[in-house]
Amino acid sequence: MNEQRITLTVNGRNIEFEAEPRKLLLDALREDCHLSGTHAGCEHGVCGACTVLVDGRPTRSCLCFAIQMEGHEVQTIESVGTPQKLSVLQQALHECHGLQCGFCTPGIVMTFEAYLKDHPEPTEADIREVLSGNLCRCTGYQNIVAAIALAARRMREASPHDQ
Amino acid sequence: MTSEAFVHIGSHQPRKEDARLLTGHGRYIDDIVVSGALHACFVRSPHAHAEILSVNMGAALDMPGVVAIYTGHDLAQWTTRHRMAPPIDGLRAMEMDTLPTTKVRFQGDPVACVIATNRYLAEDAAEQVQVDYAVLPAVSTMWQALASDAPRVDNDLPDNLLSHQHAVHGDVAGAMAGAHRVIESTFSQHRQTHLPIETRGCIADWDVGRQHLNFQVGTQVPHPYRTTLAARLRLSESQVSVVSPDVGGGFGQKIALYREELTVAAVSMQLGRPVRWREDRMENLLASSQAREDFCRTRVAVDAQGRVLALDLEIVEDFGAYSFYPGNYLARVVAMIVTGPYRIANYAYDVKVVLSNKVGNGPMRAPMSVTSWVMEGTLDAVARELGLDPVAVRRVNMLRPDELPYTMATGEVLADVSPNATMDGVLAAIGYDSLRERQVQARAQGRWLGIGVCNVVESTTYGSKFYKSAGIAGSGHEAAWIRIEPSGAVNASVGLGATGQGYETSLANAVADGLGVSPADVRVLLGHTDIAPYGMGSRGARGGTAGGGTLYLCAQQARTAVLAIAAHLLGLADAQALRLLESRVQQQVEDRWQDTALNLADIARVAYLDPLALPPGVSPGLEFHLTYEPPPMTYSNASHACVVEVDGATGAVHIERYVVAEDCGTVLSPVVVEGQQHGAIAMGLSGSLYEHIEYDSATGQNLSGSLADYLVATSHELPHFELIPMHTPNRSTPAGIKGMAEGGVMGAIGALSNAVNDALAHLGVVVNQQPLTPMYLRGLIRQAQKNPNKAST
Repeated sequence: MNEQRITLTVNGRNIEFEAEPRKLLLDALREDCHLSGTHAGCEHGVCGACTVLVDGRPTRSCLCFAIQMEGHEVQTIESVGTPQKLSVLQQALHECHGLQCGFCTPGIVMTFEAYLKDHPEPTEADIREVLSGNLCRCTGYQNIVAAIALAARRMREASPHDQ
Repeated sequence: MTSEAFVHIGSHQPRKEDARLLTGHGRYIDDIVVSGALHACFVRSPHAHAEILSVNMGAALDMPGVVAIYTGHDLAQWTTRHRMAPPIDGLRAMEMDTLPTTKVRFQGDPVACVIATNRYLAEDAAEQVQVDYAVLPAVSTMWQALASDAPRVDNDLPDNLLSHQHAVHGDVAGAMAGAHRVIESTFSQHRQTHLPIETRGCIADWDVGRQHLNFQVGTQVPHPYRTTLAARLRLSESQVSVVSPDVGGGFGQKIALYREELTVAAVSMQLGRPVRWREDRMENLLASSQAREDFCRTRVAVDAQGRVLALDLEIVEDFGAYSFYPGNYLARVVAMIVTGPYRIANYAYDVKVVLSNKVGNGPMRAPMSVTSWVMEGTLDAVARELGLDPVAVRRVNMLRPDELPYTMATGEVLADVSPNATMDGVLAAIGYDSLRERQVQARAQGRWLGIGVCNVVESTTYGSKFYKSAGIAGSGHEAAWIRIEPSGAVNASVGLGATGQGYETSLANAVADGLGVSPADVRVLLGHTDIAPYGMGSRGARGGTAGGGTLYLCAQQARTAVLAIAAHLLGLADAQALRLLESRVQQQVEDRWQDTALNLADIARVAYLDPLALPPGVSPGLEFHLTYEPPPMTYSNASHACVVEVDGATGAVHIERYVVAEDCGTVLSPVVVEGQQHGAIAMGLSGSLYEHIEYDSATGQNLSGSLADYLVATSHELPHFELIPMHTPNRSTPAGIKGMAEGGVMGAIGALSNAVNDALAHLGVVVNQQPLTPMYLRGLIRQAQKNPNKAST
């Protein structure tokens, strides 16, 4: 074992821990940062359940090592909303029944929290194209697509001057 | 039992589960922190079929963090063998070790278990365990399995035929002999897997002092699971608690007690320490339950109008290497219900289930998935051969409303279904007649449009009588309790195991209306064997009728008791003029309901804290318990219509439109039902187009060990689903609930295949196997273009 001191900046906080250089960001977030909302679905970069934001960009946390993320800003699902106060996107997913078992949901939320910032007016085809990076086995995607479109509309209505 | 005016049943409410799941605060197995837990990793066979000569763990034992390594010989001391031997005609008994000791039977079979201080170190050591094998020839297909000189998958059986059942109802031979035509069709459904996004996993924690095992695992059936786990560990059911927290999808994969889970439990008992395991995705694809893979052949005798005079069905299912379920469990249901909404009196079936060197089969969302494709594909073949419209052939055979209830040839009774209405509904919605015109025009332009129709009769709630008549061991009953707490808060529980269906929301509606409270005041507790009553869990589509129905009846019992106390407190002779609405006790005065001074909390306070004020003979407290046996079977029905375009140059299938009319009776929560419909259709389409667990036909190697090989439809490939809800209540269930959630798979498989066949009809080729890959379709198209004489224009 070859453990090293690693410092990550996660959700605006610095967290220090000892881990091997081979430790995945995914596992470090879950085990060392005690943030279990980021889920391991396939551990080979296909399913998207482990998606987090690194410097604002959606990133598969199963495809990078924790130690590589030193000096970068990592955001996880825990930074987005709370059960008492959902984000606009989370609220739309709730209203549109855009989740069932919920295991893939954090990855989808993180992907589209970032995407909608840069793409305020996506078409359904745009949403389906981007969402194709996240596997969901329960919903058939239709209500997720509807929720993202609803969230985009609400975000536009809330900040009309940004357009 | 269906005349009630519902307040909450059928109303739209966002789910109670969502807030925690949306914010990353769900609690799945791997999220549960257990201090000091050790991690298990399994050493798996690289061969499909091989003798285990030796397991050498020397170097691995010395590696960092390694605590122990165990083999099948260790587990044989600590656990009992698994024996699957229900007394069923035509089914052979099968036994298996907890971990194999003499030979492995599929690639991925676990041969040793490494226990280490973390998952990385356990995986490191597992790579260093040296197992010597003598490779044996593998059985890789159902046809190899049936060959007289086939290698035996199970050395204790004389051959690979695990189950063989057949029956003849009516005069099949006579009808065949006198028929206008006898038309034969075949259907090959390929092997697939459930692929929940959360893989399997568990945490075993043996409490040495109390001699008690706390076992946390994502399971659909907590109590039956506990019964099996306790027995195989030689513990009493009082010594085991099974706790199933949030579960990231099941679809049938999380029912049986797996050998890995039993191993983890036994190791925790041996070491006196908590042990946890989570499989990775490759293990999920190599060693978690798989499903489907059946070959069906129909021979149908018809008159000149396409009227079915007799049907003969042959099924061969490839069941894999081990019997986690009785061998006849899946295919037999197909044979029982294949005639669906059609009037077919003369019917015979023959069902063979064979063993092969693959993962053992289990039920996957719609274990009878192939049913509707077989029946509807057969009717399409009749239409094709006789030059009739496929819808016309369905109409002459479909049961009219006045023929219901209808006893199928197999003795199953079809009642309260509406196939004519659902078919009319989808045909009108897609504009069937004008679509046929557009199809002709498109073909003239070289574009191949196809229209597929598939009628579905979905067996939803399996009662004990159905199990018995199908020759399947099991009970269909369910159990519930409701406790009104001293504050008037309502807690309720039932023996289901949630895996994403939104039970906390939909079942709260059943309790709310049965009792007379708001769903917001009802908490539904699930998935803990010490809390929930002993129920049969979640399988098939029993959640609505068995789960919701039992809770509804239990809640009605609670309401009766509450109102009896209220009548006494109000000085009334009886409770006939009382009701409970949103926790308020109301009295009918002439034709108006008026609030009384009492609410549920007042009644509860008396029941718990002032029992002397209760009516004579009434016991203190407000606790209710009830078990319920549903009818032998409940059926939902649906019609699917699908419009596709096949690209002749590439073989790609584009789904232009997808419409479903579905009648699932009273629905507890429409939003949940809609979500289940979407998910089921998606699974059916994805399976028909892409998903394929493929084994190399020579070596038996699993060629689908990653998500780059096992392809699943994404949001990009799936169409928008148009749903037409219909609600004919079932007259023999509580609240008229029927259940649903699997029919979407059945319909999608059939509608898509029928549509593709329709698109290719002018070439004179027929799709008779899945998945409908571009390579497969291009092969058919190429073959047709080489032999143009078979094609019509």
